[in-house]
Amino acid sequence: MNRSIYISILAVFLMFGMLLSFQFRSNGSNGGGVPTERYHELTVEKLKVETDIAQLEEESNDLAVKIADAGRGRTTAAEAMEKELDKIQLRAGLIAVTGPGVEIVVKNDSSAQYGSGFYNIRDENLLLLVNDLRGAGAEAISINGQRILATSEVRQAGNHINVNLVKISPPYNIKAIGNPGQLKSSLEIKDGLVEILAANGVLVEVRQLEQVSVPAYSGGLGFDYAKHVQKG
Amino acid sequence: MKGLQWTLAVVGLFLGIMLALQFKITSEINRTEQVERTEVLATQLTQLKEVRDLLQEQVNSLRTDFDRASAGPGDGELKEGLDKARILAGVTELTGPGVEVTLNDSNVTLKPGENPNLYVLHDEDILHVLNELKAAGAEAISMNEQRLLANTEVRCTGPTIVLNRDKRLAPPYIITAIGDPHTLESAIKMKGGVAETLQFWGIQVGVKKMNQVTVPAYSGGIKFEYAQAAG
Repeated sequence: MNRSIYISILAVFLMFGMLLSFQFRSNGSNGGGVPTERYHELTVEKLKVETDIAQLEEESNDLAVKIADAGRGRTTAAEAMEKELDKIQLRAGLIAVTGPGVEIVVKNDSSAQYGSGFYNIRDENLLLLVNDLRGAGAEAISINGQRILATSEVRQAGNHINVNLVKISPPYNIKAIGNPGQLKSSLEIKDGLVEILAANGVLVEVRQLEQVSVPAYSGGLGFDYAKHVQKG
Repeated sequence: MKGLQWTLAVVGLFLGIMLALQFKITSEINRTEQVERTEVLATQLTQLKEVRDLLQEQVNSLRTDFDRASAGPGDGELKEGLDKARILAGVTELTGPGVEVTLNDSNVTLKPGENPNLYVLHDEDILHVLNELKAAGAEAISMNEQRLLANTEVRCTGPTIVLNRDKRLAPPYIITAIGDPHTLESAIKMKGGVAETLQFWGIQVGVKKMNQVTVPAYSGGIKFEYAQAAG
């Protein structure tokens, strides 16, 4: 008799224990930080896709108009072609642009404790700066007058840095067009690039401007390998 | 003794009810409000992306129509200019000889106490590889079927990489570049170059020369919101 009571009581307590632990677990997994972050990321993505859709609709209407123009005789056809060329060249970086943005000067800190030139600014420093600016929505970027294209390298070559195969030397002057506040804060956030570079004796000054001019790419354009895929 | 049996019966009943409640709660945990909102958003996003892709196809075919409509004698220079600008702007699908570079996280087994972060691909590593390809004359580049533009960022978010704000990529990362296959390959494989540095951390780098690779067009809008043509 005694034994069966002990067993029942043991079973009951076991169950209680399990229930309690389940309960704690379920409380713990509610309201964690991860879903919020995902939500945030998805919201950013959604905004981007919505902009894409609006712009693609506009592009589609624009092309429809140009197709109609192209069928309306030679002069209008040539005009339509020229307009299309302007639009694509603007996006490709072949046309000089202006707009709000930031101007950044990157140079060795002469007052640094190690003295000027202790740390040479390297290609990767500039690459990361450019990448941060792109992430913050920069639409057009130049370094020391060299427009950054889809094909532009920023590469160490001995003691200097090449951009578009052109030698550039310090101080480096980066111009970027986009939302000035966003561009500036993406570099100046805590543990951001400005702080990291400052710790290495490199001064980065970021100035917000209402108008920044970014030059067009001025070099030659040769495409020897890439061919358009013919459709239809 | 009968009293004890009754007590046990009552306790048993009580436990049963609690268990049932508990099960109901556990199955609801996966659908808290936050999770549900995220799910709704994810579904919306998928639908929007479908709309975007359809529009993109429409724009692509309109571009072909435009080329056909404006084809004809004369204006060869304009046409050539447009072709080149399109390559740079990334609005068309391209094909040509080139290389395929495959990058994957390290397969090194960590010793206790080692920092796993050292053996994972970072956005910086990918930026380096891309930069070398550009320096070696790559004419067009894509990564996991996403075209790289002048303002494409490469950003680490957790274990994935984000390009062009909304293109989320997971390893292995396959970078396709059009250009001289030999020059591109040696730019990556060169002594003391980027492949050697990455392999030091056990990161897997593969380069394949290809007679023909295809680089897709960028999908998305190409309008600037801030930048305007000067003068």
